[in-house]
Amino acid sequence: MHDFFLPVGPQHPALVEPVHMKLRVEGETVVSLDGLELGYNHKGIEKALENRSWTKSVFLSERVCGICGNFHTSAFAQGVERLMGIEIPDRAKHIRVIVSELERIHSHLLCLGLIAHEMGLDTLFHYIFRDRETAMDLLELLSGNRVHFSMNTIGGVRRDLDTDNIRKVEEGLDSMEDRLYHYIKVFERDSSVKRRTSKVGILSEKLAIETGTVGPCARASNVNYDIRNEDYLTYKELKFKPVIGDRGDVLERNIVRLKECVQSIKLMRDSLFSIPKGEIALKLPMMIKVGEGLETLSHIEAPRGELAYYIRSAGDRPYRVKIRTPTYANFHMLGNILKGCQIADIPVIVASMDPCMSCTDRVTLVNTKGKETVLGKEDFHHLNGGHHD
Amino acid sequence: MINEVFHFLVFPGLISAIIFGLLYEGILRKVTAHMHNRIGPPIWQPFLDFVKLMSKENITTKDSFGMIMTLAPVISFASALTVLMFLPVGGFTFLSFSGDIFIVIYMLIMAGVFFAVGGFATGNPFASVGSIREIIQIFAIEFPFVISMITVGFLMNFNLSPFFAWQFPFALFAFLVSLQGKLSLPPFHIQEAEQEIVAGPLTEYSGPRLAMHELAKGVMVWTMISLGSVLFLGATTILTFAINSLLLLFLVIVLRTIFGRLKINQSLRLFWFVIGPLAVIDLARVLLGLYI
Repeated sequence: MHDFFLPVGPQHPALVEPVHMKLRVEGETVVSLDGLELGYNHKGIEKALENRSWTKSVFLSERVCGICGNFHTSAFAQGVERLMGIEIPDRAKHIRVIVSELERIHSHLLCLGLIAHEMGLDTLFHYIFRDRETAMDLLELLSGNRVHFSMNTIGGVRRDLDTDNIRKVEEGLDSMEDRLYHYIKVFERDSSVKRRTSKVGILSEKLAIETGTVGPCARASNVNYDIRNEDYLTYKELKFKPVIGDRGDVLERNIVRLKECVQSIKLMRDSLFSIPKGEIALKLPMMIKVGEGLETLSHIEAPRGELAYYIRSAGDRPYRVKIRTPTYANFHMLGNILKGCQIADIPVIVASMDPCMSCTDRVTLVNTKGKETVLGKEDFHHLNGGHHD
Repeated sequence: MINEVFHFLVFPGLISAIIFGLLYEGILRKVTAHMHNRIGPPIWQPFLDFVKLMSKENITTKDSFGMIMTLAPVISFASALTVLMFLPVGGFTFLSFSGDIFIVIYMLIMAGVFFAVGGFATGNPFASVGSIREIIQIFAIEFPFVISMITVGFLMNFNLSPFFAWQFPFALFAFLVSLQGKLSLPPFHIQEAEQEIVAGPLTEYSGPRLAMHELAKGVMVWTMISLGSVLFLGATTILTFAINSLLLLFLVIVLRTIFGRLKINQSLRLFWFVIGPLAVIDLARVLLGLYI
């Protein structure tokens, strides 16, 4: 049978977010991933961050992603706090953990729902999304927003928890935990789910390490790589232990995600129990000043994996911010695990990677009349009117 | 004469087939939506869709054959409609002779084949993959489907008539599974898997051509469920026919909601090595006279 190109994206019903994959297929089998084009979603946020004060930058960095926005602000604020050499109050740390873990649950449930949708099991998709609403409602209760929470600021958080909220969150967590245990059972035992996910898109431990895979994808391949192992926020006091799986297939990634959700609930319970009294933010001047030329790399464990912010200061504003998102790191293994799978497996495998193009698009690739042009440093300077050498 | 015109155009022919086909499609969507824990479209939504699509323009891409694209859904629709002529719907028969069961089998295959042909005619890679899958699905489903039809056909001299196949559980089971496959509903919606190959053969379709495809699909639902309720559940009167049809429709919806999509190789394996052999057991029983 002769082979042909199957274009997947940028407009494709399975991949809602714009990415273009050129797949060479032979009948039903994928021979190779011949091209991966990003850049349909380029927003120019890194450049825009250079023209804003530190405080305003926090709000812009939240707009990098609509699902894990709080992690972006956490990473950015953490980096700036490190540059300033300040330590945020304990209560703020606890609140950051609580909001982060709630957001992790809603992000993981979104991914699991999409995987269920990709394998044609719409019922499970709708049920998971219904239960995801609990997490969304709790986040709305805590932050006042459903999508961009705007909880973090430099030096702490912007909203406090009261006892009434704590009680409501604990109730929500209880009901969510039941459902999560139910879904673990569904994903492990349901024949329809198992047939589509078990032994599909296997990522070996060696390949995961070689290609620098991060997040649940790496942990499902028996790689103990979780930034929460390092000491940031209160994870050390919470005695955090990462969830590790060893089979490396789509099923294992789903199970790791579900178990991480259960673990997040435990972390949140502990945080809510041990939350200390006190200030939620340091009193900082309106215009924050950071020593010019200082630089730092701030890591954080986002739902999809390691999120890294490189920040270099220009005094009253960032000189350069480089964001390395987990999806970008995970794209490198995609070609390898897609090779040899069936066309039917493509959406399931891609969804199990939990790609977030909105996070990832940071480089512009312009394709005009069949000629591909990669914009380099000079071109950007030219476009920018020659400012910022 | 007036009787024949009535049968062709009104019942069980054109008009009633269109109305019931689209109505079943609507019920299917509404009940599925409730099982999904959402509200879903109103039951008359397929009618609205049909009218809207009919009022739009046809778009023919550079690589496609417009003629075949127009004819394929019409032939699919006509094939599904022809089957109804042979069905003793609600107790009264229009066309009936010994051996009409084979015409029914042929016509049902035609509907699937022209669905695939329509996909090939568009020259779209997704449509090609979808059409190949459709052809494989036909190969897979026809084996248990034909066996189960012949099993009950034997007892009625291959003349379609009401029959309650309770002595042949395997044939009944094979028919119910193939019914789901013939309607390309989950777990067998492989040829139009939107997450994998966009809309499969329908990717390039738009306007009236798409409307005809949707109509053919709706009539296929009505035809297959009527066939099941007459030939396997033994509906002799309008009342039993209605009850059986709704029961079958509900079963189809339940199966649709509880299963995810199979892969094409899994589907082929299921039909040939599990469902098919089961149906053969009942056929052997009939041939050897080993039934009650």
